[in-house]
Amino acid sequence: MKIDVQGHSTFASTGGRAFDPKGDVILFIHGSGQNHLGFMLQHRFLANRGWQAITPDFPGHGKSEGDPIATIEEMAAWLASFMDAAGIEKAHIAGHSQGALVALEMAAKFSDKVRSATFIASALGIPVNDYLLGLAKDREPKAIKAMMDWGHGPTGHVHDHTMPGASHMHYGSQLMASNVPGALFTDLNACNEYTTGAETAAAITCPTLCILSGQDKMTPIKAGRKLHAALGGKLVEIPHAGHMSITEQPWDVTKPLRGFLESQRVEA
Amino acid sequence: MADYKFDTLSLHAGQSPDGRFGSRAVPIHQTTSYVFQDTEQAAALFNMEIGGHIYSRLTNPTVAVLEQRLAALDGGVAAVATASGMSALFVTVLALCSAGDHIVASSQMYGANINLFQHTMSRYGIETTFVSPRDPEAIRAAIRPNTKMVFGEVIGNPGMDIMDLPAVAAVTKEANVPLVVDATFNTPWMIKPIEHGANIVIHSLTKWMGGHGVALGGAVIDGGNFDWGATPGKFPTMTDAHFGYQGVNLWEEFGPMAFATRVRTEGMMNAGPCMAPQNAFYILQGIETLPLRMERHMSNTAKMLEFLTNHEQVSWVKHPALPEHPDHETALRLMPKGQGSIISMGVKGGRAAASAFIESVGLASHLANVGDAKTLVIHPGSTTHSHITAEAMEAAGLTDDLVRISVGLEDFDDIAADFSQALKAAGRVVPKVAAE
Ligand SMILES: Cc1ncc(COP(=O)(O)O)c(C=O)c1O
Repeated sequence: MKIDVQGHSTFASTGGRAFDPKGDVILFIHGSGQNHLGFMLQHRFLANRGWQAITPDFPGHGKSEGDPIATIEEMAAWLASFMDAAGIEKAHIAGHSQGALVALEMAAKFSDKVRSATFIASALGIPVNDYLLGLAKDREPKAIKAMMDWGHGPTGHVHDHTMPGASHMHYGSQLMASNVPGALFTDLNACNEYTTGAETAAAITCPTLCILSGQDKMTPIKAGRKLHAALGGKLVEIPHAGHMSITEQPWDVTKPLRGFLESQRVEA
Repeated sequence: MADYKFDTLSLHAGQSPDGRFGSRAVPIHQTTSYVFQDTEQAAALFNMEIGGHIYSRLTNPTVAVLEQRLAALDGGVAAVATASGMSALFVTVLALCSAGDHIVASSQMYGANINLFQHTMSRYGIETTFVSPRDPEAIRAAIRPNTKMVFGEVIGNPGMDIMDLPAVAAVTKEANVPLVVDATFNTPWMIKPIEHGANIVIHSLTKWMGGHGVALGGAVIDGGNFDWGATPGKFPTMTDAHFGYQGVNLWEEFGPMAFATRVRTEGMMNAGPCMAPQNAFYILQGIETLPLRMERHMSNTAKMLEFLTNHEQVSWVKHPALPEHPDHETALRLMPKGQGSIISMGVKGGRAAASAFIESVGLASHLANVGDAKTLVIHPGSTTHSHITAEAMEAAGLTDDLVRISVGLEDFDDIAADFSQALKAAGRVVPKVAAE
């Protein structure tokens, strides 16, 4: 669906189903240089299982207009505006990588809008090395290639997809190339400058789940475990997935996420 | 972990060794269907919410390894394997075009490619304009508002005309029409068309990709680099509600692989030209040695060109590696590793001499195929291209004396000896022809 957020046309995938903002909403938050398509299988599955799944494209990403947002804090504020514009009062949120940093901010600073928060392949902070930042700034196609290399574990590198016939690496590259030029640099820079993860995590009171990847080279599992230690809550580790667990081992992400969401439903 | 290189992908892409038995070779899943874990999994599979297999007309684990290997080698986001090269082209047209639509296609192509557009699709209200693949401006001029694809062979069969991919891609991109290419004669080893701006790649895997001549097969590879939504309403099969899958909008939900998903959920679902798992296995065995075979095809072709250009019984030789070929420079620029292993030659003495040559070869095989590991010869004018019109034949340069050679992997000395004696036999009919 397309809605207006802060004066810009904004696209949000609803998993191919009609969306009811008054239902049980699960809001996915995409990562650096990504867009709604990274969560393709998670939002499709949940949307068809009684959940109101919604995955917006941040400005300048995917099918959303506008300029990419410069800081994690502003991304969270934008997401709050998006929820208002979509008529969503409260949602379960799930972020991947940079999206999980945004989820930290959301859960701490907009706690009245958040029922639970899931952090996938993330950490308390995501420092980005100068080499990748430089590539993203000046040679975006090379940066995308590097991220595809580092972002995928063994299954991604041998192009062994759960969707028969597909290639993670080439799909991911085209997905990233479809954002506006410069979106990746703005995102990575926002990650790099975000340093208040520990304080923010300490302020979170909603139920949480961390889904970490054993082969993660972008946010190593050690850093992910620190995030979990700061949050408490539930923890799931996927030993063979790389950073792009959501596409590499989609069901290994969907299954615990669904279990967690269902348990919230029961408790509510 | 760096991205694997081409030769490594040829051996490994698409397959993780099987977790249950550890089979290193790709297992042949000779099955039509797959037991569901429960009703929810079945429903989720049918609605494309999870990955997996339902029925082998749609997908099969052995065929999927091949598809993923092809996507990896050609730089595509996804591939769909088909029963033959022709059905790959057919399901592509089916996914893109409806009655009232228009196609711009190359005039220099394999006979069945031409006939599909000229005689079959035309009966379903899809019109085709044929233009020279060597003329980007003619392609631009032929594109209409209802043009849904521009199609051509990267290397034309049999004339070896080369499509200047970047130049044609610039035209199609500006017109917002997908550039679909038949990459059978080049294989991704020589050139990966998607890297040069093509949007969809079609292969007959029957030829060099398999290489052994034991199995037919085809594939459609989605480059994932075409914006189906740029002109609203132009590609309804991609951007309107699908007839199945709860009316999913493929472009919104599957993004770069919208096209491959349409091929799978319509062409394979409703027409069903699926590849047999056994054939996928054979073709995978071939692809494992693609880089090695292509090197040998190229080196034997170079030797063959030298042999033929110096042979007194040969009146002309056509191959892009030769400076007099009209596309010589384009070929060297786009395909520096080699310009293909198909050679056309004119045998002195016309049709009778060409026939005598073909009937006299012993080691080389007279048959209707290309890209086999073995050397092949044929007279296209009376066989592979005989069903096209006289004008099309003339436009394709299909003269009476033309013999098409597909250079194989034998020791070149043995091929040269065979050709020497066959050309000598052809020479013996020349005085007879002259006397008649
Ligand atoms: C260039 C080209 N494309 C497509 C085809 C059709 O392929 P298949 O025979 O696998 O259907 C052929 C071959 O016969 C061919 O030479």
